[in-house]
Amino acid sequence: MLAIDARDVEKTFRSGWFGRRETPALRGVSLTVERGSIVGVLGPNGAGKTTLLSILATLLTPDRGRVLVLGHDVVREAGVLRRRLNMASGRPSFLWSLRVGEIIAFYGRLYGLSGARLRRRVDTLIELCELGSYRRVPYSDLSTGLKQRVALAKSLVNDPELLFLDEPTLGLDPDVSVRVREHIARLRREQGITIVLTTHYMREADELCDEIAFIKAGRILSRGTPGELKRQIRLGEVIALRLDPPAVTWLAEAPGVLRCVEADGWVECTVDEAEKRLPELLRALHNDGVVIRNVQVREPELEEVFVELAK
Amino acid sequence: MSWRNELLAVWAVTLRNALMGARNVFFFFELLFWPVVGVLSIGLMSRFLELTPAQASFVLVGTIALSVINVCQLEVAYAVLLDVWSKSLKHQFLAPIGIRHLTLGSWVVGMVRSSVVFLLLAALGWWAFDFEVLRPGWLALATFLLGCFLTAWVVGVAVCALITLFGNRAEAFAWATVNLVLVLAGIYYPVSVLPGWIAAIARAIPLTYFLDAYRSYYGFPSEFAAPVATGLALSVLYGALAHWAFLAAIQRARRTGLLLKMSE
Ligand SMILES: Nc1ncnc2c1ncn2[C@@H]1O[C@H](COP(=O)(O)OP(=O)(O)OP(=O)(O)O)[C@@H](O)[C@H]1O
Ligand SMILES: [Mg+2]
Repeated sequence: MLAIDARDVEKTFRSGWFGRRETPALRGVSLTVERGSIVGVLGPNGAGKTTLLSILATLLTPDRGRVLVLGHDVVREAGVLRRRLNMASGRPSFLWSLRVGEIIAFYGRLYGLSGARLRRRVDTLIELCELGSYRRVPYSDLSTGLKQRVALAKSLVNDPELLFLDEPTLGLDPDVSVRVREHIARLRREQGITIVLTTHYMREADELCDEIAFIKAGRILSRGTPGELKRQIRLGEVIALRLDPPAVTWLAEAPGVLRCVEADGWVECTVDEAEKRLPELLRALHNDGVVIRNVQVREPELEEVFVELAK
Repeated sequence: MSWRNELLAVWAVTLRNALMGARNVFFFFELLFWPVVGVLSIGLMSRFLELTPAQASFVLVGTIALSVINVCQLEVAYAVLLDVWSKSLKHQFLAPIGIRHLTLGSWVVGMVRSSVVFLLLAALGWWAFDFEVLRPGWLALATFLLGCFLTAWVVGVAVCALITLFGNRAEAFAWATVNLVLVLAGIYYPVSVLPGWIAAIARAIPLTYFLDAYRSYYGFPSEFAAPVATGLALSVLYGALAHWAFLAAIQRARRTGLLLKMSE
């Protein structure tokens, strides 16, 4: 079942006198997201990621296109829809002098929680987001990472079926990012929440996302699992070899080998498909009397895919 | 939405504004300083000009009304201003609530705060200038306060609409408009002294009627036939208009992206 079904979404921002300056942010984006999956929206700065998430979360109305989220039209049925989704961003901001517990409780009430149920919910979220010792600290006194955790806690206050996370680990130290990522993965695993996130950390996208949509200048350029994207870009895979003797001249001409470079005593051969070429190469080297001291096979990093697509 | 959820959302906003108010020293300053300065300066001026007790009461009613309205309308405007200042507006409009919850919740706090201001000013006026706030009786007083609260509601919601329409740069413009409107309502003088077209504007302002009704108990015959009913009718009309304008402004902000811009 689809959590999101967006077709040909267009959005142009107008500014200046009489809206004469136009910034097309989305130029016909179509995106479907399966329930219970984690989808990453990647792309360079200004590509339209935040705009897309805002439209899906009913904060922004699209100029054109039809957007169904959890089966509801984002414009006509926004009210019903808002109960079932939530959003957190990497640059959170809340009322500065409210305390952590008060902020979560305030939003809880807006979503219809009260009394013992509200108290339980706030307790659970504070525990979940490791905010126990900050419960009575005013928001303005928190560090960036703690603010982010408050935002995450707030975004879970209504038990959303669909969660939008705009750069959830922005500016967090590696230790905290790892925990936030584990947390996101757990939300999906244990509660089946559908998650759409944007990020500039490729490691994060690779690790978390079932699927990735790559967006640039308001269009989706590519879409697939991290593995599919890597193959689609044809960056190839790398077979690194440590050989004795260290250099083998015919290696660059072997079938399936795209290029070969030597570095630090390693020969790095980029091949079209490692699984097929590795045995062939090993056999040929063995027949040639070359001793193989070490072998490593590497997939291209998602980062390289990103750089390639963003060109 | 069920009644329970309606009340809960209003209560959430009430609680939020009350907490913010209680935490902020400057809010408190705002609450007391200008109103007290206003009553003292007007009271002393009336003494210097040797106004009769009735005339002094006339202008003091005006200052007190102005203070009550200002404190209350500011709180109503906090419905969006608090979020605009702390850049958290989008969370509000991501939640399944309407603007009525925001404005009503803030209004409740505004009424409490401005009632405190009223009590304080009435006491000060009585102590320093022999101003008898209860001379018209409880019912007239309650009607007068209701008039002030309703005016504050209209003004506050209109300010909210202006801010969501033009962004936070519109703040100063919004306050200026408000004060202009109040001055026209005959805060310190009867509407009959105003030149023709300005008097016509004054007659369109609900506060004019509430002031008129209350002052009639201090020996100034009413200038209108049914001031309280007219004031109420106008308040309801403007309240509905302001609400609609705020709603339209929010819808527009969702379209133009201002809602997002004000949250980052
Ligand atoms: N509220 C707004 N008003 C006017 N223009 C906007 C607004 N929000 C975004 N834009 C413009 O729309 C385009 C897309 O912006 P968007 O914020 O969606 O990019 P993004 O992919 O999220 O970028 P980043 O990686 O920097 O967060 C940009 O050119 C931006 O300048
Ligand atoms: Mg963004």
